[in-house]
Amino acid sequence: MEEYNSGDELYLCVFQCIEGVIGGTDYNQSKVNQWTASIVEQSLAHLVKQGRPLKYMVNCTIMQKSGAGLHTANSCYWDTTTDGCCTVRWENRTMYCVVSVFVVALAL
Amino acid sequence: MSRVHTLHSIPVCVQSIEVTIGDNAYQQNRVNQWTTNVVEQSLSQLSKLGKPFKYIVTCVIMQKTGAGVQSASACFWDNTTDGNCSVTWENKSMYCIVSVFGLAI
Repeated sequence: MEEYNSGDELYLCVFQCIEGVIGGTDYNQSKVNQWTASIVEQSLAHLVKQGRPLKYMVNCTIMQKSGAGLHTANSCYWDTTTDGCCTVRWENRTMYCVVSVFVVALAL
Repeated sequence: MSRVHTLHSIPVCVQSIEVTIGDNAYQQNRVNQWTTNVVEQSLSQLSKLGKPFKYIVTCVIMQKTGAGVQSASACFWDNTTDGNCSVTWENKSMYCIVSVFGLAI
């Protein structure tokens, strides 16, 4: 991706958003709706604040740990010199959280 | 844009899922290949439409065991030209959720 240091900067930003929302909590069916919404909104707000000419898509999935298998994949049709993505996988004792951020440059 | 893409993306995604997974039961050693095939086929069919858009396709496959799963997305883009659509599909042993994001060039 363009000079954007997506690797670490973006990963840390999203990781901190996840920790801030669900760090230290157990899976709770009545709250998980609020958690996913908060994680995507806070991540997006942090990214937009940077004021770069970019479009963002943030996707968050939270799954209860019960032995079930979960698999995710993504595929992108874009300009590989200017666009990119980053996926953060987080877990605690009771749940998995996977957040994907896609960054697309504005064609000027 | 959103309306056009909803019309075109849904059948593309459903077809990719049906062709890849169909009636198969969840199998841990095949699910990796399934998710890859679903996103690649969906993307290649969408790009063949020849519209001036960038696409992002994501696929989640989850085994049915009674576990809870929640997913959310937030997007910062141009509301007049960009849009997304999600397809949720299931058979007896698994759920498959495919999301397509389309951004105008």
